[in-house]
Formats: sequence, structure tokens, C-alpha cells
Amino acid sequence: MSISRNNLILYIGILIFGIAAPFLFPAFKVQLSILCVLIVLATTWNIQGGEMGYNSFGNILFYGLGMYLCASVQVGMFFPLSEWTESGGEKTFVHTPAQFFQGMAVGLIVAAVVPTIVAGLIGYSILGLRGHYFAICTLGLGVAAGEISGGIEIIGAGQGFTTPPFPDVGSLDSRGEFFYFLSFFVLVLTFIAVRGIYSTRFKLILNAIRDNEDKAEAMGIETMKYKIVGWMISAFFCGLAGGIMGGLVGYIDSTDVAFDGREMGVFMVLMAILGGKGTLWGPIIGATVFHIFKEGFWTFFLGWQYVALGVLIVVIVIYFPEGIMGWLREKYPERFGEVVDEKDRKAQVELK
Amino acid sequence: MKINKIIISFISAAVILLSTSVVSFAKVVGDKIVLGAAISLTGKYSSNGVHTQNGYNMAVDRINSMGGVKVGGKTYKFDIIYYDDESNPKRAAQLAERLISQDGVEFMLGPYSSGLTKAIAPVTEKYGVPMVEANGASRSLFTKGYKYLFAVLAPANLYLDVAIDLAVEKNNGKPVTVAMAFEQDAFSQDVRLGVLDAIKRTGSKKVIDDKLPKELNDMAATLVKVKQMKPDVLVVSGHTKGALTAIRQISEMKVDVPMLAMTHCDAAKLSKQHGKNSQYALCASQWHKTLTYKDNFFKDGMTYDADFTKEFGYAPPYQAAESSAALLVFKDAFERANSFDQKKVRDALAATNMQTFYGNIKFAEGGQNVDKPMVLFQVMCDDGGKCENKVVAPTKWASAKLIHPIPSWSQR
Repeated sequence: MSISRNNLILYIGILIFGIAAPFLFPAFKVQLSILCVLIVLATTWNIQGGEMGYNSFGNILFYGLGMYLCASVQVGMFFPLSEWTESGGEKTFVHTPAQFFQGMAVGLIVAAVVPTIVAGLIGYSILGLRGHYFAICTLGLGVAAGEISGGIEIIGAGQGFTTPPFPDVGSLDSRGEFFYFLSFFVLVLTFIAVRGIYSTRFKLILNAIRDNEDKAEAMGIETMKYKIVGWMISAFFCGLAGGIMGGLVGYIDSTDVAFDGREMGVFMVLMAILGGKGTLWGPIIGATVFHIFKEGFWTFFLGWQYVALGVLIVVIVIYFPEGIMGWLREKYPERFGEVVDEKDRKAQVELK
Repeated sequence: MKINKIIISFISAAVILLSTSVVSFAKVVGDKIVLGAAISLTGKYSSNGVHTQNGYNMAVDRINSMGGVKVGGKTYKFDIIYYDDESNPKRAAQLAERLISQDGVEFMLGPYSSGLTKAIAPVTEKYGVPMVEANGASRSLFTKGYKYLFAVLAPANLYLDVAIDLAVEKNNGKPVTVAMAFEQDAFSQDVRLGVLDAIKRTGSKKVIDDKLPKELNDMAATLVKVKQMKPDVLVVSGHTKGALTAIRQISEMKVDVPMLAMTHCDAAKLSKQHGKNSQYALCASQWHKTLTYKDNFFKDGMTYDADFTKEFGYAPPYQAAESSAALLVFKDAFERANSFDQKKVRDALAATNMQTFYGNIKFAEGGQNVDKPMVLFQVMCDDGGKCENKVVAPTKWASAKLIHPIPSWSQR
């Protein structure tokens, strides 16, 4: 892929800002880490929902899987997992710093790889569905996973799973910094990967599937193959994001934290739509605006925040049906490299 | 590409927004001691979250109006920063972090439910912020070696094991058969552990052991099994919704069982909402207004009950009472520590040994309150259909005799 000089400046600027952020806003490290995770989720959802036209509510499955897998591996590598989670986690084992970081590293690899394989395995049957059927089916995936994991004793079942506490290294801030840079790293990785595929033929095929899947197939594109690969890419990064989030929250609950379809599962869709689905920057902007809105105003509505969220959704749907990016594109098309023929536009207006 | 300009201006706007919201509070501002609390005001625990908040507020008002907290010769007043955790552990952990690192809170009050307390405790522990919590009863909270966590309530496994003992006693010391239905959440599963221990201890037998989904709205499948198996005891726990669902469906399906033991009857206002249908239900409770504990602020249980009802328009469930007690513990600890140093306050909390209207409070090594037994009450109705909760066990506090076995529906 080629990067123009302006873009390069922009990327380096963002990178520097990203690295400096925890030191500029030391009190906001956790929120910034969560922002990174949200951006990853929105960006990867956009591969299905935006580029491919498949409104998936099932990406939360990979996020939750990643969360449980990362924590399980981190514990299971050094201690018996069943004893760790028994009776709601009564027994206490302490990870040494080396064990903690080794466990986290291996855990994150597993958290990324296994959901990818799962996506590949279930993809063939589920991606055969289209439209509403696909949406409902994936919605069921997340709900089912939550209920099933809530019954598995070895991962804590209904009692939840306390992830290993961060070891005593460095200062009080080291935990926040560790999770921030981890999530920022995953964000950068996701961005590079997604930007990479968006500049290849792969994206065009996804768009072709969105615009007319039958025609795409008739033109000789093996649509199923591309749909599955697209979903596997999303699963990879969702799993990573889940793994980090598990460690960051410190406590995994089956339906409220891991397979949190009605919060995270809906938020990722909302953020992508708010920013503008089907664009590279849309989900990133959407997630940032959403997170700032949520953190800035949410807490002042004590008990009414979901009403506020409802209002936000209504505003988005009415005033920004194409998202912030879509709105900007309509307003300033020349900035997006589009040429507008004023005469033609006026003629059309007059016709109306 | 011009789009860069848009993105850059957008990012700078975000930065400005972030930096302007960096407002930091000190924990002791002027004459105020600011406590932080994440409470479930929305979501599945919202009714109990409100009980908790009302309990906190009631105690804050009372302590402030009766002279406040005296530390170092100066009088301070309590103030609480609340956030809504949406009954979600992820949100709760995030809000704890926010309270401590952004709002600068140095002392915390607990949230509602064990799951949420489990999510918050690692955060408060990391920052060395003393937290007195009143609604996280899970046993595993007290085996983690947390040094800054103090719970004014008895652990969850002690909730219903007494009921099994009672059933065995009524069965002339012979083992009984037990049917269990518990919600899939940290608290209810801990109650289950306690019941399992009691079953093992008495040589009893469990015939049904069902796990019910969160936000319990339907347990008909379990009740069909209960009808078939005819156990001696049916144990149900699933917070407020679980209690309401159980009574509704048991009365609809006319399920006959000699003993029905539950949790959260008073928080669910069972005797009011379901009247005679809830009659004979046996309920575990941390507190009951007829207990004869006393303190200087609320006097005793009956007075607390009257004052609370006057202020909030409903009788206080134990969730409110224990939440009020948490403030009394904090006040006592601040005055004994005579300092706002977190370590000193923590040590003072650990040395707590006091009586409140809610019960005696003395913390064990793990932070749980070991000086306050659980009570069991039974819903009893008069002929006019007016129902009341009466303590039946332990005998020291009993104000009525246990009615056992429960008469069958055909005779009611």
C-alpha cells in the first residue's frame, strides 16, 4: 500500500499522540484503554456491517471467547484452573510478575487464534444466511454463548471468573500504562491490517457482496470464501480486544462482561453507524465521539443514561443516517476528492 | 487529501474536551468527607440499588444533622459522589477507577451485589482505598486476602443453611430431601454453596439442583419437577426478581412443599405485593426491625423502620439497613483513627467493635462481619389478609413460632 506524505504526517501525529496520551492525561488511562478496545470493535464490525453489508450482532462471541480464553490460559499455565474458579474463586494463587506477563502473552495469542478458527468453522453455515436472518442468527450466537458459559464450572460459571491481579511492579500507574499500551498496540495493529485490506481487491469484493451478492457470484467471485475470511479477520482482533478487556476489568461475568451482547454488542454497531459505516475512519470517529459522550455526560444522567442513549440513536438516525463521515462527505464532497458539477446539481434541484 | 484536516481538527477538539474535563476533587474538601459509590440505579439490580442508595443517604443525613464526624478537633460532614453502574461489573470496575483516579475519592462505599463488589474490590485494593461495603456477601470476597475491604454483613453461605437445619429438626433429626433453584450469579451461587454444606452436614439429599438464568422471570420447569419429586424443602434464591417469580409461579401452579426457603423477600416486598400467596415463605435476612440492637443515631430497629418509612414511603428492607450501618462504621473508624490517612483509617476499620441498630459489627481477618448472625423470618398473614414478616429463628430473636409444614393449597 502506498501512503501519501500528508497521510504519513497524520499517522505519525496520531501515533505520537497515542504514545503520549497516558502521560498527558494520567487520570484517564483506563478510559483511554477502553476507547482503544471500542475502536477495535467498531472497526472490525465495519468489515461485516459496513463493507460487506452483513449486519452481525455475533462479533461479541469472539470478544467473549477471547476474554475467557486469555484469562483461562493465564491461570491454567501455572495453576490448576478448576481450583482457581472453584466456589467462586475462594482459593488464592499469586502470579509472579514473570508468570503474569508470560501468561498474558500466551493467553492473548490463544485469544486471537481460537476465535479465528471458530469463525472459520461456523462461518460456512452462518454466512449462508442473508439480511435479517443473518442478523437474528448472530444475535442468537452471542446470547447462547453467554448462557452456555454461565453453566461451565471450570470457568467460574455463574460465580464469575476473577482474572489474575496485576503483579506489584513499578508504581501504581504501571497497571494502567501496561493495559493502555497493550490496547493501543492492538489498535495500531488493527488499523494497519484493516487499512491494508481496504486498499486491495478484497475490499472491492466485499463491496460487491454488499451491493449485489448474486451478481458478484455470477461474475465468478467465490463470495463465501471472502465472507468467511472477512469474518475471521474480525474474529482475530475481537478476540485480542476481549483478552485485554478481561485483564483490564479484572472480573469476567458470562453475560455482563464477556458475552455482553446488549452493551458491547450493540455499542460496536452503534459506533460504526454513528461515525459512518463503510469508511475507514468512520468507526474510529464514531467510537471516539460515542465514548466521550458516554464518559462525559453519562454519569450526569444518573439513572437516565439509557434514555439519553435512546435520544442519541434517534438523532443519529434522523440527522446523520450516513454517519458523521457520510454527513461530512455530503457537505464537503470536494474534500473527499469528489468533483461536483454545480450546473448538474442545480439542474436536478430545479427538476424537483 | 483534505480529509486529513477534518480528522486533525476533530482530534484536537477531542483533546480539548478531554483536558477541560480534568477536574480533580480532594477527598476532604473544606469540612466535607467525600465518599464515592457506584450504585445500580438501572439494570437488573436497580430496585436493590435504590434501597442501598436510600440507606446511605439516610445515614448521611442523620450523621450530618447530629454533629457530623469529629476528626482532629474539627467537625466534618459526609458527602457521597454517586455513579450508576448499570448493574454491570465492567462498568462498576471502570467507575471505581474513575472515582479514585479522577474524582480523587479516598474512601469508598460498596455497590449492590456480590458480582459488582468482586469487580470493584481489586481496584480499591490496588489503590489502598478503604471500602466499607454492605451488599457483597459472596464468601470468595473474604478469602482473597483483601486488606481494604470491610463488609458489615454476614457471608452469603450463611443465608439459608439454617433453613436446612430447621427442616431436619422438624423432621425429628432425620435427613430431608432438598430441591434447589439458584440464579446464575455470584451471590445466589454462594448461597447454594452454603446449602450444599448443610445438606452434607445433615446427611440430607438434594433431589433437584437447577441453575436459573439471570433476570429470573420463569422457573416453571423447576416447579414441575418439584411437583413430581415432592421434596421436603424448596430453596430458591435469585435476588428480588427471583423471589417475586417464585411466589407468583408457586401460587399459580399450586405447588405444595412443606418448607419454602428464599432470599430477598423483604426487598421484593413480598408480603405487600403477593399478600396471602406469599404466606409461610421462610426468608433469610441480615436484619429485622424487631431485633433489639441499639445505637445513638438510629436508636433501634423499630425507630429506624419508622423513620425510613416516613422519609422514603416504604418499609426498609435489610439492604437499606445494612447500607446505613456502613456509614456508622466509617464515622466510628474516622473518629478512632483521628486522621484521614488511608492506612490509619484502614487499621481503625479493622479494629472496629461496635453495636449499631443493625447488629454488632466486628471484622474478621478477611473483612467479613463475624459478630452478627443471620435471622430467618416467615411471612405470616392474619385472616384479614394483612401479612407481616415475623422472625422465627434463631430462637434468641424469635417473635413467632415457625409454621411447619406449610398447609397444602387445597386447604388454604
